[in-house]
Amino acid sequence: MSVVYCHIFRRLISYNPYRKKSTTMPLKRVFFWQPNAGSTVNSQILNEVSQCVESINGVKEGRWKATLTFYKPMLRDQALSAEFPREFIGISLPEQPNKYYFVLRFNKIVLESDSSIQLIMEKLQSYKSRVALNFEGFQYQLGDFQLRVGKVVPSHSENLRGIVMEVEYLPISSLEKSKQIMEEFFDIWQDAISKRSLPGRFIHIEPDFSDYGLADHYTSQHTAVQYTHVTSQLIASVQAVQTGRN
Amino acid sequence: MLQQHHQQQHHHHLQSAITAAPPPSATTSTPPSSTTGEAPPKQVALAMDRLGQAARLIADIRLGADRLLEALFVASQPHQSSKPLHLFRQEDESMRQHLQDLRTVGKQLEESGVLNESLRSRSNSWGLHMPLVCPDGAVVAYAWKRQLAGQAGASAVDRTRLALKAFTDQKRRFFPHLDDEEDGEGTDTASKKHRNLPALAEDNQDNLSDCKTLSDVLTNMEKERPNLKVSTYERLDWLKRASSLPASANDNTMEAPKHNFHGTSILRPALQNVASMDKVAVIELFFPSIFRAVVSLHPAGSTDPDSVAFFSPDEGGSYMHSRGSSVYHVFRQITEHATVALQYFLGIRSKTALHSLLHWICSYQTLFTKVCNKCGRLLAMDRQSALILPPVHRPYRTLSVSKHSSTQSISSTLDQGSNAPEAYHIGCFSDNT
Repeated sequence: MSVVYCHIFRRLISYNPYRKKSTTMPLKRVFFWQPNAGSTVNSQILNEVSQCVESINGVKEGRWKATLTFYKPMLRDQALSAEFPREFIGISLPEQPNKYYFVLRFNKIVLESDSSIQLIMEKLQSYKSRVALNFEGFQYQLGDFQLRVGKVVPSHSENLRGIVMEVEYLPISSLEKSKQIMEEFFDIWQDAISKRSLPGRFIHIEPDFSDYGLADHYTSQHTAVQYTHVTSQLIASVQAVQTGRN
Repeated sequence: MLQQHHQQQHHHHLQSAITAAPPPSATTSTPPSSTTGEAPPKQVALAMDRLGQAARLIADIRLGADRLLEALFVASQPHQSSKPLHLFRQEDESMRQHLQDLRTVGKQLEESGVLNESLRSRSNSWGLHMPLVCPDGAVVAYAWKRQLAGQAGASAVDRTRLALKAFTDQKRRFFPHLDDEEDGEGTDTASKKHRNLPALAEDNQDNLSDCKTLSDVLTNMEKERPNLKVSTYERLDWLKRASSLPASANDNTMEAPKHNFHGTSILRPALQNVASMDKVAVIELFFPSIFRAVVSLHPAGSTDPDSVAFFSPDEGGSYMHSRGSSVYHVFRQITEHATVALQYFLGIRSKTALHSLLHWICSYQTLFTKVCNKCGRLLAMDRQSALILPPVHRPYRTLSVSKHSSTQSISSTLDQGSNAPEAYHIGCFSDNT
C-alpha cells in the first residue's frame, strides 16, 4: 500500500529534487514569542504587540490565516508505523491559496503541491490529521515592510498557545542580500517593544534552508520550513512550561 | 618668323625674369633709387609705378605680337599691296621699343629689390617693405601685408581647426556609427581600452575622452563592474521584455552568460551587433538580487540619457520603463533622487553624462548593505514619509568617475572602507547639504 501512496504522491506533487524552483517571493522572517521563565502567553501581550506595530506607523490592512497540520498514516497494522516519517506536516499559506506544502522535518524534505491534495488524501483515507494549528491575526503595512501578527490556536479551540510574527521585506527576495536589512529592522522593532516591558521577547531561529535543498531566492517553501520549525519551538516551550509546572 | 620667335623668346624671358628671382644685373641704366636719400614710402610708390609700367608694357607687347601675326597672315594672302609690309615695319619698331622699355623697368625693379627680397634686410625701411613679386606671380604691395595676411591665414587655420574639432565632437555624439570611417582622435576602440589615465578629480571630462560613443561607454562599464549585467534594447523590444519579467528573471540569473551586453532579450536570441548600436534606446543595468535600473537614451544610439528609473529585481510588467515608477517605496525614492542626479549630470557634465550616470547608478549596488555615513545605521525611519528606508541617497556632485576610484570602490564594498561611495538616508542627506 505504501508503494501506491508513493506513486500517487509523485504524480500529484511536482517533486523534483533537481528543480527547487517556485515563484520568488519577498523574503520573510517568522518570529515566535518566547515568554520569560515563569510566565505564559496571553492575549494582552498580543494586544500590546499589535499596538507597537501601529506605533511604528504600521497600517492595518486585513486579516490573515495559515494552518499547520500534523498527519499520521492510516494503517491497519500499527506495527508498520515505524516505516513512515515521524513528523509529516502539511501547511497552507495565505499568500498561496492554490498550494499546499508538505514538510518532513526529520527527512529535510519540503514539497509544494496543489491544494486539492487535501481532498485526495481525505478520499483515499491515507493520512489523518492528528493535530491542527491555526495561525491567524492582522496584517500591517510599513512602507516596503509587511508585518503579520498572529495568535497560535489549535483548530476548534480558542486556547491561545502562542504568538507569531512575520516580517516581510517586499522589494527583494535574496536571503543573503537582505540579511542586514532584516537584522536592523528587528533592532528597530526591539527598541519599540522594549518600551512596553513585556514578559518575553520575539525570537527568530533561521533554519538551515540548504538542508532542505532550498536556494538563496526566497520562496513559499522557505516559509513552510520556517513555520515547521517555529511550531516545534512552540511545542517545546509549551512542554517546558508544563513540565515546569509538574 | 625668326623675329617673332625672337620676340617670343624675349617675352618668355621677361616673364621668367618677372616670375623668377634672377641675380641683379651688373650694369645699371638707372641708379637704384633706394640707395639715395629717398624715404621708404617714396621708394614703395616708385616701385608700384614701375610695376604698373611693366604690366602695361607687357600688354603692349602681347598686342604687338598679335598685329605682327596678322600682318604676316595678310601678306601671305594673294593680291595684296605693300600695306602689310608697312604694317609689319611699323609694328616691329613699336615692339622693339616696348621690349627695351620693359628691360629698363625690369632692371629698375630688380635694383629696388622688388623681384627679390634683398630689401628685407635693410634696416631703414620704416617698417615698410618694398612690394614683392612673389615666385608664384602674386604682387604684394607691402611685404608685411603678406605677413599680416599670413597671420590672418594662420588664425584662420586655427579657427578652422577648432571648428572642425567642434564639428567632429558633435558628429561623434549624434552619429557614433559614422565613427568607423574616421581615423585618429582616439576613436579606435582597442587603443582606448589600453589607455591608462591618471585619476584627476578636476579633469573628469578629459579622463573620459575615450568614452565618447555608446559602445565605448558600455564596454567600459562591463569591464569595471563584473557583477553587473548590462543589456541594451530598442525601445519596443524593451517593452516586450519588461512585460515578460520577472518570470524570466530567475532563469536569467542561472543561465544567462556573463556578458550579455550585446542583447539578451529572451524574445530576440540573435546577437545585436555593433551596427545596430544606432537603434539602442534603452540600457538596462541589472545587479542580480539588488535592483534593476532602466536608462533611456534620446535620440536612439546617442550617449544622451533622458530618463532613468529603478525597480526591484523581481518586478515585472509594462510599467517598467525609464519613466515608470516601482511599486516599492525604496526604489521610488531612488528614482526621484536619480532624476535629480541626471539633470545635474546633463547640466554640468553634459559630455560625459551617460558615463557619470551609469557609474553613479552602480554605486547603488551597496543599497542593502552600506550604512548611512551620517547616522551609521542601515535602516532609518524617514520622518517625512513615515517609512523605514535604507540610505537611498548617493552623492552625485562630487562623483569621481575615474577608473582608479571605481576599482577601489568595488574591492571595498565588503569592508565599507572610506573609499566606498557614500550613502545617506533622506533625512541625513539634507542635513549634510
